[in-house]
Amino acid sequence: MDDDRRRVVAWVGRDILPHEADVRAWLRRSMVPVNEIEDIVQDAYCRLAGMTEVGHIANPRAYFFTVARSIVVDRMRRARVVRMETVAEIDALNVVWDDPSPERITAARRELERVKGLIAGLPGRCRHIFELRKIEGLSQREIAKRLGVTETIVENDVVRGLRLILKAIAEGEGEAAEAIRTERSHGRTRDRKGH
Amino acid sequence: MGERATAKVIEDQALAWVARLDREASHAALEAELNAWLEGDSRRRGAFLRAQAAWMQLDRAGVLGVSEERETRRPSRRWLVTGGAVAAAVGGVSVWGVARGVLDARIRTVRGEIRRVPLEDGSMLAVNTESQLKVALDRTMRRVDLERGETWFQVAKDMARPFVVVAGDVRVRAVGTAFSVRRHERGSDVLVTEGVVEVWSANAPEHVRRLSVGDHAFVSEAMGPGMSQSAAAEIDRRLAWRGGDIVLDGDTLGDAVVEFNRYNTRQLRIEGPGLASEALVGRFRTNEPEAFARAVAVTAEARVLMDDEVIRISRL
Repeated sequence: MDDDRRRVVAWVGRDILPHEADVRAWLRRSMVPVNEIEDIVQDAYCRLAGMTEVGHIANPRAYFFTVARSIVVDRMRRARVVRMETVAEIDALNVVWDDPSPERITAARRELERVKGLIAGLPGRCRHIFELRKIEGLSQREIAKRLGVTETIVENDVVRGLRLILKAIAEGEGEAAEAIRTERSHGRTRDRKGH
Repeated sequence: MGERATAKVIEDQALAWVARLDREASHAALEAELNAWLEGDSRRRGAFLRAQAAWMQLDRAGVLGVSEERETRRPSRRWLVTGGAVAAAVGGVSVWGVARGVLDARIRTVRGEIRRVPLEDGSMLAVNTESQLKVALDRTMRRVDLERGETWFQVAKDMARPFVVVAGDVRVRAVGTAFSVRRHERGSDVLVTEGVVEVWSANAPEHVRRLSVGDHAFVSEAMGPGMSQSAAAEIDRRLAWRGGDIVLDGDTLGDAVVEFNRYNTRQLRIEGPGLASEALVGRFRTNEPEAFARAVAVTAEARVLMDDEVIRISRL
């Protein structure tokens, strides 16, 4: 990864991912059909992936919302369907991104705790592997040797853990990290109550 | 939509790529395969960026991982069985026999990046924003050239191999200890957080000074070390960057702005007389100069004007 790319990836991790749950919530409020939300979010990241420089973006949260909005508008144009609710929400969009509520500021301050919480929320061996990889700095090969498992098992657990972390990010990190934890301590049958 | 892969399927493939790239060292054939996959569907770049960003942000957990919490955390039974070396790392590291981490390498951080790098001998580096280092470990010596910037070193004990940091003409020698070195134009600041180090300049090798835990000294390239000062109360504050924080305790606005500007492309500027000497107290994130400017506006009765490149703080 060259420096430009690394800067963009780091910026997305730090300044974009934490707002993904809010963008998704806004899309739901805008009556965007559930099956389209996933595509819109992915499309938004596609547009971010085309960037080589991010230093000029003053407000990443607002930028993320703006990108999502333009994708929704494009889609409405192409489908020639205008949903009134969507239009209303889109007009009110700047209220959403301009509102740095106290909780949100606190959330940003706790970046480190947030990231640690994501790892702590992973189940069993998965968590152990993420700790060895990200906190102790061991390579996948060394982890495999340490745990006496194959490298494939480690790699598969990296995939599994990262999938849970992306899910946590999509659902709002605090809640979802907690959900994973609850699932771990109460067994997989317990349903998570959404709200 | 039947023939089109769903967003979910693409996400799974992107995750597999991130895990695989983390496992295998980068080589041409792998890159070619990745590029072919990325080009196969325009949506893949987005999913890949998202997965890669989620993976990379987890590195932040490690910057402070060793010195914080881990010491107080009670290991589970499984940790006791398999985590012997982990426990050693917490206790100060001496039995990491397994080859791990960096042996010989160049390390570079971009603006705003803070990275933790484990070395092969069990030592640990926390590398601050815009820094550049060269690491060379061999049988007789462990040498790190700090070419630019600032790094905190937690050195694994190894009597047979001294650990020497070379910062221009400045030299810092340690056996098993922890300290930070920050390069400036004419010398380096050295701050000791554990044990004892020796500092000198290659231009005045006879003038060596011992610094022990809590000491701070400026070592000039030309003259060697100046008087050491006790900075025990200051250490946590001055090394708060390892956790991504800037802690101000009576620092002037002028100094605080210089500090923030080390980490951000969007630069802070102070306009108008007297404002720069206002004293400030508070804890801020290195990457949130906006929040800092807003706090200043309130406490120092100043006005903040922001555009994409500059945040101006001026008198009302």
